[in-house]
Amino acid sequence: MFKTTTSQSGRAVHLSFEGEVIAAFDGDNVAAALLRVGKLQFRTAAKNDGRGPYCMMGVCFECLVEIDGKPNQQACQIIIRDGMQIRRQQAPNITSEL
Amino acid sequence: MKAAVKSNFDAIIAGAGLIGLSIGYGLSRRGMSVLILDGEDTAIRAARGNFGLVWVQGKGAYFPPYADWTMRSSELWPKLTDELQEIDGPEIGLHQDGGLTICLSEAEMQKRFEKLDHLRAHQNGRFRFEMLDRATLKDIMPGIGPQVVGAAYCAHDGHVNPLYLMRALQNGVVKNGGVCISNTPVQDICKSGTSIRVCTKDGDFECQRLVLAAGLANATLAPKVGLRQSLRPQKGQIVVTEKLEQQLPLPTLLLRQTDEGGLMIGDSHEDTGFETSVTPDVVSGIANRALATLPGLADVGVVRSWAALRVMSKDGYPIYDQSETMSGAFAVSCHSGVTLSAAHALDLASYIAEGRLGQELDGFSQRRFNV
Amino acid sequence: MKKKHFQVVVIGAGPAGMAAAITAAKAGLKTIVIDDQRSIGGQVYRSIQANSDTPPQYLGNSYYAGTKLSEDFACCGASYLPGCTVWQITETHEIALVYSGKAELITAEYIVIATGAIERPMPVRGWTLPGVMSVGGAQTLLKQSALGADDAVFVGSGPLLYLTAWQYIKAGMAVRAVIDITGTTQWRSAFPFAPLALIQPNMLLMGQKWLREIRQKTKIITNVKEVEIKGQSCAEAVSYTLSSGTKIDLPASHVFLHQGVVPNVNLSMATGLDHRWDQKAFCWRPVTDTKGKSSDEQIYITGDGSGIGGAKAAEISGRLAARAIMKRFGKFNFLKELYYKLRYLHCLSIRPFLDRLYLPPVHFRLPQSNDTIICRCEALTKSDIFDALASGATGPNQLKAFCRAGMGRCQGRNCGLIVQEMIAVHTSQSMAETGYYRLRPPVKPITLAELASLEGPWPE
Repeated sequence: MFKTTTSQSGRAVHLSFEGEVIAAFDGDNVAAALLRVGKLQFRTAAKNDGRGPYCMMGVCFECLVEIDGKPNQQACQIIIRDGMQIRRQQAPNITSEL
Repeated sequence: MKAAVKSNFDAIIAGAGLIGLSIGYGLSRRGMSVLILDGEDTAIRAARGNFGLVWVQGKGAYFPPYADWTMRSSELWPKLTDELQEIDGPEIGLHQDGGLTICLSEAEMQKRFEKLDHLRAHQNGRFRFEMLDRATLKDIMPGIGPQVVGAAYCAHDGHVNPLYLMRALQNGVVKNGGVCISNTPVQDICKSGTSIRVCTKDGDFECQRLVLAAGLANATLAPKVGLRQSLRPQKGQIVVTEKLEQQLPLPTLLLRQTDEGGLMIGDSHEDTGFETSVTPDVVSGIANRALATLPGLADVGVVRSWAALRVMSKDGYPIYDQSETMSGAFAVSCHSGVTLSAAHALDLASYIAEGRLGQELDGFSQRRFNV
Repeated sequence: MKKKHFQVVVIGAGPAGMAAAITAAKAGLKTIVIDDQRSIGGQVYRSIQANSDTPPQYLGNSYYAGTKLSEDFACCGASYLPGCTVWQITETHEIALVYSGKAELITAEYIVIATGAIERPMPVRGWTLPGVMSVGGAQTLLKQSALGADDAVFVGSGPLLYLTAWQYIKAGMAVRAVIDITGTTQWRSAFPFAPLALIQPNMLLMGQKWLREIRQKTKIITNVKEVEIKGQSCAEAVSYTLSSGTKIDLPASHVFLHQGVVPNVNLSMATGLDHRWDQKAFCWRPVTDTKGKSSDEQIYITGDGSGIGGAKAAEISGRLAARAIMKRFGKFNFLKELYYKLRYLHCLSIRPFLDRLYLPPVHFRLPQSNDTIICRCEALTKSDIFDALASGATGPNQLKAFCRAGMGRCQGRNCGLIVQEMIAVHTSQSMAETGYYRLRPPVKPITLAELASLEGPWPE
């Protein structure tokens, strides 16, 4: 479980992740805010395979989430806003998968 | 890579793009021993940049032999697909449920109608199409934008995954005992008794039938067998999106959704020589038209774009020729490698095996440019 | 719309980019720095401004070496565009970018690519499980978000592995173990370069200090020949096999992997610049002259993006590139240039030693199990890649066409080097002969609406 290493100040803001309300620090990126409360799986790749943040620098694209209805957002690159609605990015349901 | 390969074959194909592999597969399924020589991994390749349409509507509207040949290929496609599956190839994702050309103005509608109507008139009823008004189109594609006026629908059209098609054809060649070698472009060609000798950096090979299917490189290879192929590159740029759930019931000239979910959006027609750069204004224009067609795609991510070079003759139609000075040598150049794949594999290969091009191909000789 | 024009456009705001911009701007050149992150520092000095106000000591002195640079940058006069994605550099030196959801083209007389490094992929079984991160990622969380995890296991090799484990310990985290995969014979190839490394004794001493202080708090496990991460939906344990054959399972819900960094060449490759395979450092690097000039006269590549040298070397190489550009504007100072050249050589003296010592062993560069995922984006395993190879793919681009490896959002950043080496082994070619994916814009994904916002004309 991730924990805060310093006496983190910063205004508390609230997000929702998969419908659950989460308290976060203003200024955090989405990935850090979710990791802080123990959320590790951010998306589902093909074959129902769970993925979470890996590189935290915007190159691996493993931390994709849906934010306020907009899919494929890089959680490690986006700063949180109060009231943000976040959902796991699901691999598209492709009926005729090869 | 050097492979231990014998040096005598019934047929050698220069080029492992869609044309070379289709013909090579066609020869191998007739029991001939086939060697396919491919260029380098980074060579100019039309076949890897393909959009993947199996397209009939509008083709050959003003050149009847091309319209017939295209229709013939479209009819042969299910047979080719079944064959490739039977020999355990990868699923190639053929769908032949029809295709659309979406029009964003009355003028586009009118122009499209005239072209297709002309084609219908010269095809004795074999070619069918319908112009769909906005309301009818909206029933099929609910997401169309306000600018969309209607579409041309043609039941003969379809699409396929061109990359898996190549893999399936290659698999077929190998299963039939043929050999494909990469990184081994043809360097020279000469007569050797009654055979043809093909020289490469990895050694010489001999054959009874030689097919030049090296795309734009045919222009330099054809003279080695006493033929001429005047070709020019025409650049097309394509944009690809991330995978999406099913958005498109049918392929269109602009947009096609692959079985894996990605949308391919294309394409441009540019005469800019042998360069394959992607240019922001052109890809932006492609994106623009896609959004005018389906505004709901606004937030979809573009993951790749590329440019590839079409192999174009002077009039844009294929060139099929056989050498008079080097018996058994053929040259094939065209830009409809996907659509014509079935005709190439099943009909053209038979002609090549027999040593004589069929009369329906008479009109496609380079000689048509001499008049 | 009229395109904005700059004399120098710097891409990346890490040490190389900042230093290049400071030098160019101070010389009076109209300079802009574009960066995809939201604050300056790059990866090594991530969040340096925020942390300099109330500096957490656990980040260490080498991190705060970035403070001065960031202060100089803030007042150097260069424009700065954070949170901006560069998705293409055209043949005519237009830079295509997306900022606040809108695309724009800007033009440049000179371009400095300072896009830094990325971590070398480490394809051990289970590396895609949630809870497994790269060490770089773990360190970024510490720098940027003051986040650490207790009982994590660090696996891999190289300076960043030890530095981050040390920072974790200093930040009060319990580290379950450090599993060091460095091959036992690598000392032999590195040893001849030790005297050269001694030119930088403080670097070596710092490394010794990290190791000593890590050992005081946790165990460093060596002689490891295989590592696998186990877990159902998240990481639950690290399973490692010692060279003696003993297999041990260590429970862990956080596993951090690292086996070195390589130049981030996606932009420079997609721009069509020449690159060469560096067999010693085992990575691609752009072809440049000693001051960073690439195969395109107007494009310079500096810092780790042109070859791994670390933060100090990156800063100096940024200054050298900017000085080379100044010279082309008629501004030349021989002594300063000589000074930076010598300092640059000094900084690089330790690299031959480190490159050889920490080149990850082949059985960690290549996947060992058939079901290990190679291409994370397309979820392709080692056997999927082998199937494509078996059906005749002989190069990375043909392989891509056969099985879609490298076709996802990351554009091969996760899988490119693994796939290249798998092909090289399969075809008995060298890495250089095998080559790499042909990269295409956009270098990072942008939306259709962003792309359309450039308002290009409809195709025919």
